Amino acid sequence: MTHGALRRGLGIALAFLTTLVPSALPSAARAADYSFDLAEIEAKPYQISGFVEGKAEHLRLRPDASLYPLSFPGQPPRETLDRGTASFELAGKLKHDKLTGYARASGSAAHDAFDTLNAARLLEGGLRISPAEGLSFDLGKQVQRWGKGYAWNPVAFFERPKDANDPQTSLEGFVMASADWVRSSPGPLAAVGFTPVVLPVSSDVNRDYGATGHVNLGAKLYLLFEDTDIDLLWAAKGSRPQRFGVDFSRNFGAKLELHGEWARSIGATRRVLGADGTVLSETQNLDSWLFGARYLTDSEVTWIAELYRNGTGFDETQLATFFRLLDEAFSAGGGTQAQALAQALAQAGYGRVNPGQQYAYLRMSAKDPFDWLYFNPALTLIANLGDRSWQVTPELVYTGWQNVELRARAVLLNGDPLSEYGAKAVERRLELRLRLYF
Amino acid sequence: MNLIRRLLLLCALAPAAALALDGPAILAKMDRNLEPENYEMTRKLINEEPDGKRKEFVLYSVKKGRDKVAALFLQPASDKGRSTLRQGDNMWLYLPNVGKPVRITSLQSVIGGVFNNADILRVDYAEEYEVTAASEQGDAYLLEVKAKTGAVAYDRLKLTVDKKTVLPTVIEAYAASGMLVKTLRFKDIKDFGAGIRRPATVETDSPLYKGYKSVMLYAAVKKRDVPDEVFTLSFMPRLEELRK
Repeated sequence: MTHGALRRGLGIALAFLTTLVPSALPSAARAADYSFDLAEIEAKPYQISGFVEGKAEHLRLRPDASLYPLSFPGQPPRETLDRGTASFELAGKLKHDKLTGYARASGSAAHDAFDTLNAARLLEGGLRISPAEGLSFDLGKQVQRWGKGYAWNPVAFFERPKDANDPQTSLEGFVMASADWVRSSPGPLAAVGFTPVVLPVSSDVNRDYGATGHVNLGAKLYLLFEDTDIDLLWAAKGSRPQRFGVDFSRNFGAKLELHGEWARSIGATRRVLGADGTVLSETQNLDSWLFGARYLTDSEVTWIAELYRNGTGFDETQLATFFRLLDEAFSAGGGTQAQALAQALAQAGYGRVNPGQQYAYLRMSAKDPFDWLYFNPALTLIANLGDRSWQVTPELVYTGWQNVELRARAVLLNGDPLSEYGAKAVERRLELRLRLYF
Repeated sequence: MNLIRRLLLLCALAPAAALALDGPAILAKMDRNLEPENYEMTRKLINEEPDGKRKEFVLYSVKKGRDKVAALFLQPASDKGRSTLRQGDNMWLYLPNVGKPVRITSLQSVIGGVFNNADILRVDYAEEYEVTAASEQGDAYLLEVKAKTGAVAYDRLKLTVDKKTVLPTVIEAYAASGMLVKTLRFKDIKDFGAGIRRPATVETDSPLYKGYKSVMLYAAVKKRDVPDEVFTLSFMPRLEELRK
């Protein structure tokens, strides 16, 4: 952990701690009496909020791993890598009568021995008209988060895939028009909602959603029936195949919640690498589903467990075949044609964060254990049930300082060299992140 | 013989006198004295550690009927824009960066510290509990209530209610095991206008968090009737639109 980049990252973190944290703690020095002045929180027509973040990472690499050439293209083999990252997220709203303009943007600068990368993105930005509490229209770049799953969402038809390692990270939206209508009523059907979506794809707009030249239509029907959230979801054929699905979520008592999702893609085409090196295009109906539970124990430990069947994923034999292709393509005798094929297949699905077919997710997080107020330790396990490779993430989050979040975590990967987590370029990652909200 | 008859008569009448105390009516009256059935309010929640260090949250909330409550975090910046919704036993949490509501349970805590979700999104006591015993002690009514369903955060409550104001002074919350989970103390009765006169401070401590204290300060409580659609998942990202 002595690399310059890491020192710079830690420097950022220490700078935050020494200069900003004390200013976030004025309440600690106050007298014991309590006061509350409403002027502190006067409603304003505009709002600005966000955070700045410093992150230091130490990565233990696998220079011989199959995915190393794709993760660090053109870079020499290394055993370790230290990286420092500074980033921000800024969100704003401006409201006038029934019209609201909103935007959320992020930016980052990362430096390690391989590269220095800067990135800035508009995550969402658009206009909303709200004629009534139960009706609104949105136009612009939006994030439509469909589904009830914590780590994965098979019914997320109009969003970018989320990262199961960090499911609560902000996602970038797509440019679309949508409406939201909801009606509440007494009785077993307590609420009905309808959300139609129109998402155009052209060479200029939403190009990464799918095939260009389509106006993609979709809709979600929401029901709160007998204390159960139910969504019926549909996306018409366009840039992607036609899909439909259903999800649900329900509390059972004060401690248990169950949720699930099911989605079917009609006539979906995927490219599969055969054992003989040929690439086949398969067209078929693909089913994906997820079932999960959240349980709170008497000692305030929250367990989240999910099983995920990814219908568009690849089984352990197909993944191992792809990893063998990578090994051969990027070996001393590998040719550019094989490398181009490997990269094309990675983009066609093999290179996704979770390209497998069957996964299990288990997260255990404790609230203020051993009377450590604002300390939240957690342990997360993600396993590919097909090839039995896995990743475990112990972490500790401290939120005791007003508007400051400190997170330390380690990500440890394990598996056969030709398995999902065994083929990744990083064997373990230690991370320290300091986030300051404003 | 006369003395024995009189004693027997007294024994027979004593339970009748206790039964004459209408516990459910006292509980319902206490609910209405605490808040109107439909309201909006702004509160500050303070978590205080044994060394005096504090963490503060400001919430804007609206309630309709007996069992619909929504709350929006206005402060601190790290929680700003979070909203929570309750419809009976159903509870959801919306995080702006996540962009969708997720179900939560009444025993979890979205803020940490002694307060849990059921304390923050409290509905009428009479909605969640039934009176099992009612008695009098000096200037106070003593009520014992039991949760109507397993989804309620606390299995039993013991309430001390001031006879004159019919407002709670102390509420003890117990788990199903009989363990005391927390004690709420109601203080500083304040006139909020429009006939609303209630405690402006609720202090909470718990044997589970020795030395820690949580305080709820009420700065504004007003009658307000909002449409039912405010208490839906769709409106959670837009709760700020209600503030004037």
